Amino acid sequence: MKRHALGMYAVLIYAFLHVPLLVLAVFSFNSSKFTVWRGFSLEWYRTAFRDSALVEASINSLIIALVASLLATVAGTVCAYGLWKRSAPVLSESLYLSLVTPEIVTGISLLALFQWMFRFLRIQLGMHTVILAHVAFSLAYVVIVVMARLRTFDPSLEEAAMDLGATEWQAFRRVTLPSILPGVIAAGLLAFTVSIDDYVITSMVAGVDSETLPMVIFQMARRGVSPVVNAISTIIVVVLGGLVLVSERIQR
Amino acid sequence: MQRLRALFLAPARAVNLFLFIAPMAIVLAYSLLSRGIYGGVERPWTLESYGRLFDPLYGGILLRSFWISGLSTLVCLVLGFPMAMFIARSGARRNLYLNLVILPFWTSFLVRTYAWMFLLRDTGLINTFLQWTGVIHEPLPLLYNDGAVILGLVYGYLPFMVLPLYTTLEKLDKSLLEASADLGAKPWVTLTRVVIPLSAPGIRAGSILVFITCLGAYLTPDLLGGSKTVMIGNVIQNQFTSARDWPFGAAASLALMALVMVLLIVILRRDKEQLL
Amino acid sequence: MNRRTFFLGVTGALAGCASRTAKRLNVMNWGDYVAPNTIAAFEREFQVRVRYATYENNEELFGKIMSGNSGWDVVFPTHNRIDPLRELGLIKPLNHARLSNLGNLFARFQNPLWDRNLAWSVPYMWTTSGIAYNRVKYPMAPVSWADLWRAEAKGKLTMLDDVDDVFGAALSKLGFLYNSANADELRKAQREIIAQKPLVRAYISTEARDQMVAGDVLIAETFATTAQLAIDGNADLAYVLPKEPYAAYCDCAVILNESRREELAHEFLNFALRPDINAEIAQTIRTATPNEKAFALLPQATQQSKTLYPNSDTLARAEWPLTLPPEIVRLRDRLWTEAKSA
Repeated sequence: MKRHALGMYAVLIYAFLHVPLLVLAVFSFNSSKFTVWRGFSLEWYRTAFRDSALVEASINSLIIALVASLLATVAGTVCAYGLWKRSAPVLSESLYLSLVTPEIVTGISLLALFQWMFRFLRIQLGMHTVILAHVAFSLAYVVIVVMARLRTFDPSLEEAAMDLGATEWQAFRRVTLPSILPGVIAAGLLAFTVSIDDYVITSMVAGVDSETLPMVIFQMARRGVSPVVNAISTIIVVVLGGLVLVSERIQR
Repeated sequence: MQRLRALFLAPARAVNLFLFIAPMAIVLAYSLLSRGIYGGVERPWTLESYGRLFDPLYGGILLRSFWISGLSTLVCLVLGFPMAMFIARSGARRNLYLNLVILPFWTSFLVRTYAWMFLLRDTGLINTFLQWTGVIHEPLPLLYNDGAVILGLVYGYLPFMVLPLYTTLEKLDKSLLEASADLGAKPWVTLTRVVIPLSAPGIRAGSILVFITCLGAYLTPDLLGGSKTVMIGNVIQNQFTSARDWPFGAAASLALMALVMVLLIVILRRDKEQLL
Repeated sequence: MNRRTFFLGVTGALAGCASRTAKRLNVMNWGDYVAPNTIAAFEREFQVRVRYATYENNEELFGKIMSGNSGWDVVFPTHNRIDPLRELGLIKPLNHARLSNLGNLFARFQNPLWDRNLAWSVPYMWTTSGIAYNRVKYPMAPVSWADLWRAEAKGKLTMLDDVDDVFGAALSKLGFLYNSANADELRKAQREIIAQKPLVRAYISTEARDQMVAGDVLIAETFATTAQLAIDGNADLAYVLPKEPYAAYCDCAVILNESRREELAHEFLNFALRPDINAEIAQTIRTATPNEKAFALLPQATQQSKTLYPNSDTLARAEWPLTLPPEIVRLRDRLWTEAKSA
């Protein structure tokens, strides 16, 4: 009755959300460049893997995402813990603000910072600036996710540990951390995905050796429809989708 | 106790200070300087850029951005609410259903925008299909207009609406719904008089999130709007590229942020639930 | 703990690999502006590693190199950006002793308006802005910029996403200079642009190619390069230069002042001037080359292509836009924003 109607509606919305990606994937196997199916072919995938700029950009994206998400997760987890113990309104507000700042404003402000700093230090834009930028904008996400998890954690467990003679640090490391670990990992995965996907901020602070995958995709997409972009997109969807499923498993 | 906590907060404080506060301060400084001949900034210090913000041209663009963002938010709300209800009532499989909504979101914004370009072109899939079934004879101009931009925005940010709605709906006390039914209310009445008012915090949170994100968009109007739709994000981006007027771009950025802050304070003031 | 150490180790190793200490040259060029083998051939011959990246427009280029500390050695601005770069102290004067192949250029490119005696730049490729159209589906062959304002074109017309080229078409249509710096003329042109807007499907540059080939777009303001690539994909298409003045642009190689690899940079410029290399690039990317010896190596069909190499009468109408004063740039941008939001 009402449940069925709701269920059918849900199917429609899921279709709306997923069909475009499925279509992209299907046509990445099309041997013709156009929207007419001409036969199955892995040609575009081969082209994608042979494109050295693409491969290098992918590797850059991976390195950046790994390092940035790692740093952001560590900093964010301990920050969330600190905030959970006792609130620090200024920091909280500031983090929240950084979350709602439009991406373009974040990108511009970071570029301004780096350019200003580089007048004194003789360094250039590069992987390090991109990593710093990614840590900056993913920190707030990590804090939110870990906080949400911390709220389901019973503080009396920590107190009990300390009553039994543990120091604060030990209580954190041996009692709290293992319990919130699924949340931490979920936060890390979120930071990772946000980092891999970012275009706006990255394109502004990237340097000579730091072309990332979204930058390359954007350049290719601007030139028009290209099945190679379809192929790359499908690979991205499958990989990131896999990560989401992994995150789901871990959280249980 | 205090020391450990201070230590724990230190990295986040450092990141926030150096990579958010400091850059914003520089942007503020830029907004008060004058534009360099070929870009960049130079002295003298002036409030001229802020004065230019009051130009009716930008007021019009802001209104347009509000209109498109508002419409996108509304569509997200209408589409997302039943979805959130479905997931909240799906019992054991609710995590799976939730992840299925989030999945496209976590798979590259560019890719998703590109997918719609692929679908909406004159020779794209939708038009090809409609022509093949004989519904239309000439391709419909689905791409390069406001509608395409709204579609792109809704598609991109629907999860932002579904998630907060779901969180609120999930916590809804089922006994209230039962009580309402016991008192003789039809399902529709229960929906409008009980469920929706109780999920107001979620509606506010989701709407604000979607609205703010749409307001700052510039890739979507660029790619799906064929550069014919100028939103405030495009104006800002333009100042740092072809217009080479950084002070004005900085002023506009700060104005946008101030606007966002005001919206947040006004709309979320009553919500006790803090994210952080 | 173990996992973390592993991660750090891997990323460290990968980062180390990336910065091998081989001789390096960093080149940034327009997208799709070299042949597949060009860079590799240069790397092999000179035993260097070339980092090669691309940009889509001059503004992007400017944004990246303006700080004077970007890390790039060789870039390819359009000719009317050379003066600003020179004034900002961003480029190095060229040492002609290292550029033995300069003589390969056509005479008129050896002493162009924008850079007398090629003190700062080396012409690389050139193109024009004109009108591409589909002869079969849109048989009213355009002869004038005014043809882009015809009602029949509604919904099938695209214009370049570039303030200078859209204004140029409108200005030229009204009988003014394509690159006018007169505020009154610019305002009149803006009114034309606003009048045209309902007809325009989109303001796009390189994306127009695919859409013309597919038949989504039937008439477009476009560059000769884009048009030639589209014609290669669909023989129904053609490119015409209007009877009023149109713009011609030359992309030139320059060496950035911050570069500490001046010798190698000169070698690269010289390499790109070689007839065989230049001809291969020109043939692949389908642009007109300013290199006379390279032109001689091109297949006859390309040499005779009126799209890429208009005859001298037609070429006489070309305007090579020069740098505009900053206030005019500001005015143009404002008028453009107004027009686009109208």
